[in-house]
Amino acid sequence: MKLTRRHFLAAGGAATTLSLWPRLARAADAQDTRLVVVLLRGGLDGLHVVTPVGDPDFARLRGSLRVEGARALDADFALHPALAFSHALYARREWLPVLAVAPPYRLRSHFEAQDNLESGTPVGGGTANGWLNRCVASLPASRALSVSTVMPLILRGAGDATTWSPPLPEDVNPILLQRLQSLYAADAHLAHPFEQAVAAQGMQAGGNVARLPQAMAAAARFMAAPEGPRVGFAENTGWDTHAQQGPVLARKLAELDQGLRQFHDGIGPAWSRTVVMVVTEFGRTAAVNGTGGTDHGTGTLAMLAGGAVAGGRIAGDWPGLAHAQLNEGRDLRATTDLRSVFKGVVGDHLGIAASTLEARVFPDSHGAATMRGLLRG
Amino acid sequence: MIGRDTLSAANRFGLGARPGTLVQLDDPRGWLHAQVATRADAPRAALPTSADYLRQEYDYLRARRAARNGDGDAAMGFRERFARSQLQELGWRYRHAAATEHDFVERLVRFWSNHFAVSADKRTAALYAAPMEREAIRPHVAGDFADLLLAVEQHPAMLRYLDNVRSVGERSRLAQRQRRRMDAEAAPRAGLNENLAREILELHTLGVDGGYAQDDVRELARAITGWSVPLPRDLDAGASTTFQFRSNAHEAGVRQVLGRRYAAEGEAQGRAILRELAVHPATARHVCGKLARHFVSDAPPRTLVERMAEAWTRSGGALRSVYAAMIDSPDAWSPEARKLKTPDDFVVSALRSTGTSPGETPRALVGLLGRLGQPPFTPRSPAGFADDAAEWSGADAVWKRIQAAQSLAETATAEPDALRTAEQVFGPLLDGDTALALRRAESPREGLALLFASPAFQWRS
Repeated sequence: MKLTRRHFLAAGGAATTLSLWPRLARAADAQDTRLVVVLLRGGLDGLHVVTPVGDPDFARLRGSLRVEGARALDADFALHPALAFSHALYARREWLPVLAVAPPYRLRSHFEAQDNLESGTPVGGGTANGWLNRCVASLPASRALSVSTVMPLILRGAGDATTWSPPLPEDVNPILLQRLQSLYAADAHLAHPFEQAVAAQGMQAGGNVARLPQAMAAAARFMAAPEGPRVGFAENTGWDTHAQQGPVLARKLAELDQGLRQFHDGIGPAWSRTVVMVVTEFGRTAAVNGTGGTDHGTGTLAMLAGGAVAGGRIAGDWPGLAHAQLNEGRDLRATTDLRSVFKGVVGDHLGIAASTLEARVFPDSHGAATMRGLLRG
Repeated sequence: MIGRDTLSAANRFGLGARPGTLVQLDDPRGWLHAQVATRADAPRAALPTSADYLRQEYDYLRARRAARNGDGDAAMGFRERFARSQLQELGWRYRHAAATEHDFVERLVRFWSNHFAVSADKRTAALYAAPMEREAIRPHVAGDFADLLLAVEQHPAMLRYLDNVRSVGERSRLAQRQRRRMDAEAAPRAGLNENLAREILELHTLGVDGGYAQDDVRELARAITGWSVPLPRDLDAGASTTFQFRSNAHEAGVRQVLGRRYAAEGEAQGRAILRELAVHPATARHVCGKLARHFVSDAPPRTLVERMAEAWTRSGGALRSVYAAMIDSPDAWSPEARKLKTPDDFVVSALRSTGTSPGETPRALVGLLGRLGQPPFTPRSPAGFADDAAEWSGADAVWKRIQAAQSLAETATAEPDALRTAEQVFGPLLDGDTALALRRAESPREGLALLFASPAFQWRS
């Protein structure tokens, strides 16, 4: 097998050495940079996005759930075909997947894992404010925008943050629909209209305005302004794919890809100084389950995009899918603490001193060493 | 102990449990009785009265006339103010509905508002629809039906909506004067308008099968000619009420309605007829049928309606007795008793379940209700919004509700905890499948969306 841990670690190390000097020079214009965090709630199956086609156990585990038509990233990994724009960015070295990551929380509750990811603390160290807000609070005269109706935990706190949301989103979360299916089937009066409604929506697919592209377009519009917020946040649900994962993720990933394109087009020249960081609370089981989906797991991927990203390669430390390599024999191990990725992006990209980063933004995170080489030098 | 009756009281008779409602509600029937037992204490709204609105409207008309004469565009400010006033009215109405602990009374208020439907589609009535609920319905919600009926039929909203302000007796002084002034061939300028009289008989009292004929419609219409709204000159002359009887538009003479002679003169004639209609057996049957359909089921048991109608007749239309008959009837608590929520019920119950309050000017909420097919105070006809499951359970309606569930979950103010919210609403009767789905939700807000979109939440059981 071609995949080795060492392969990835070496690549990361080299980047660190090379980029030490130029990064200092960039501190002066650090004010102009933009950072957007996109949280996919529900637990994105990383194995379905960047598929480890070179891993000998992959085909066996996924069986019917394999991704057809994936585009090669390198000899071992291929990208889901719905992420066409992301693939183009990858070719421009502006898209970077970080594999086998997870927040420090390793149990499998959505809510707790999301809280942990958003608070940026070790397990059990929950806070009333979020790490992205603490970033903003550490920066002079900076503002953040959350494209949501209610302020999410990640942006709650003393830093200057505001919310905005598009009026009355139209689309319906497919996972919500899936869950409602069995409940409505049991309601004699409402079962039939529900079925009709779902069928009618299927026929006019695309008729609804999807939320994430709308949110990303809005974020770009606000953040493109010279005095606009430097930090943005968008969230999206519909990623908890216990059943019918193939079609659901094809639709959701296209939505994500479209969102990325919207942001790219909307932010204009500032794209070169932008990092978009797409994260999720956990990954999913390595094997397909009995309903064409996957259940809650651990390791997943983070995706970085933007002109400031050192992309066009694959980052992270691949743990392997052999039974003994899996976490508890069921899901991808997380070899990187998501906070390492956060620290590797925000410190240099936003111009937050390492000491501030350690003391205020990610307290008690010495165990999660800053990941190097994620940004262009 | 939280049993089925507790849930029915809170969710079917009330507007939906708020956090903490169920545990406090240990005597479901007593809880309902108590709300209508005391003299209806209409909550005070810090809002203008219809008289204030009338003055503003006339100021606007004067400004518009001045603008036409080249005096600038002062009219614009007024129009914006009217739109803002209407939103403020709705803001107060929905904040009150979301927060009140007397929600059986509030449901009754909304029932009567829909029974005496006025649509804001009629521009001249738009500003008065919400005030009519505050001024004419709330004070009489647990009083006598006759008083309620009179208050509504003399309110500017109803008088304008159903055109009575334009109705002029054929042989009234006004009509005669107009005829004298015009050419002999020209059609008379003003005449009798039957609109309000017909709807009083067909919708507000007897019902379409209530045994009235076209002659009765015309006779009633003649009797209420002159029932109108003060004009600018009336206000200038010191008028302080919003009802004005214009004797020069009234058709004088004896009227005959449903075989009974009414010799009273002036305004008193119409009042006397309405008081008779209020206690007519057909009215009792018609209105009790609607009440039972609203509170119990789309096809309420005949015995229940009869029992309520009997209370109506016995008490001379004392609504409190009618409500009591319903509450004390076992039919009202049977396992078959349930209603599909209307969009308005759905939205209000979702707000209540999380203790969310709509803002001062609830633009988004009003938009949402519009998309769900029930824009506040804007039914498509004087018959009001439909009150049965068939109307509100089409495929598109179900789909829009699921979309709305997502919006409502996003704007709920509380820290979302769908399972806890579900327990506050359904108590121990939360079904296992719904509970399991909530436990598995992707995020707390998604859980809330799932709860609001779940079939269980669509019913008042």
